[in-house]
Amino acid sequence: MNINATFFAELLAFCIFVFITYRYIWPSMENLLEDRRKEISDGLEAASQSQRKLEEANKESATILDGAKAEASSLINQANSRADQIVDEAKEQAVEEAKKIKLSAEADIEQSANKAKDGLRDEVAALVIAGAQKILDKEINAKANKEIIDSLIKKI
Amino acid sequence: MAKENAQNLIETSDYIGHHLVNLTFGWCEKTSSWGFANHQQELFKGLDSACKVSEMGFWSFHLDTIFMSILLGAVVFGFFGLVNRAAKKGVPSKLQNFAEFVHEFIASAVNSGYHGTSKIVGPLAFASCLWIISWNLMDLLPVEMASFFGHFGGGFNYFKILPTADLNAPLALAIVVMILVTYYSVKTHGAGGFLKELFIVPLGPLEFISYVSKHVALALRLYGNLFAGEMIFILIAIMFGQFAMSFSQTLWFLPGLILNLSWALFHILIVALQAYIFMMLTIAYLNLASTKH
Repeated sequence: MNINATFFAELLAFCIFVFITYRYIWPSMENLLEDRRKEISDGLEAASQSQRKLEEANKESATILDGAKAEASSLINQANSRADQIVDEAKEQAVEEAKKIKLSAEADIEQSANKAKDGLRDEVAALVIAGAQKILDKEINAKANKEIIDSLIKKI
Repeated sequence: MAKENAQNLIETSDYIGHHLVNLTFGWCEKTSSWGFANHQQELFKGLDSACKVSEMGFWSFHLDTIFMSILLGAVVFGFFGLVNRAAKKGVPSKLQNFAEFVHEFIASAVNSGYHGTSKIVGPLAFASCLWIISWNLMDLLPVEMASFFGHFGGGFNYFKILPTADLNAPLALAIVVMILVTYYSVKTHGAGGFLKELFIVPLGPLEFISYVSKHVALALRLYGNLFAGEMIFILIAIMFGQFAMSFSQTLWFLPGLILNLSWALFHILIVALQAYIFMMLTIAYLNLASTKH
């Protein structure tokens, strides 16, 4: 074994290397790892949070969808019943209108029939009067009378 | 024949001795000057001294140990410093992943083993573990490599690339740990309490002996394991070197390769394990020192 002044050189070198590690390597490494750890835990936290948010959003969208479906079906039902109602009303109106039209048509028909009857009566009377005048004019000609009467009958 | 064996023996011990000599620069008493020991370098001829390594006193430096340990430290801590500087938020790069993995590994060991408040324990564990691993990995390079390049290219004959196999280096680490343990013990228990614990309660001065020996053992455990590992690599190299000289070079290449490779694979375990043990014991000692018990 030969212990000599090399010992002091090694002692000094070791102290210097420990100091370098203490000053420049160890703390920066610790900080780096601590930062990394924090970053990762933050990332995981954010991921789980967004997962939770996603679930909430899914739930919310499902409820919204359900509500919309219910609303839509109630609207459709309402519309259907309203449409039925409208159709019924329209039918009733149409029937009433038809009745009214029928009544007025009947009244018209009656009126014009009456008118026609009156006209016919007046004409028959005039014709009778005219026929009677002609008969009175040509009494002797029976044959002629017959002709006149036939023509009258034709006119009627 | 006997003479030949003796010759072989001398060569063998020379070989081992050569591999265990550091590139030493120090104070030579004989000539009262600074210089390289053992005439071991051709690069700075004027600086050779007449002393051998063993003749130099305390004031000599193992330049190879100092150079290699500082180089490895610069590479390792430079790597981590640069990766940290380049680090950005968001998705990390692969190098950053690796650095973070290493950091997390050491930080979890510190967090589970140390319950005090000191901020120096983490960096201390980090620096010691990584520095020791980088040292130990040098053991896996071929034993001849450093000598070969030193001799033929570098202009010096001795160069040990494994800082852990030089007791000075592990001892320096252990002494730093010991100083910190003493500091935190005094801080936690007070100077009186700490001295009482060492010398009086409960088994008298035995506690003091254990206090000193556990820190010396911290250094010796690391040193011993790696020194022994290095030695076995050297012995394998000698054995097959000798065989190859005597019989056939090509015949002994394969068993040598297999033996070297198997020991290297096993040694990878020791390389990492010893660094880990050093770090865990450092954490445990500092934990004992800075918590009341």
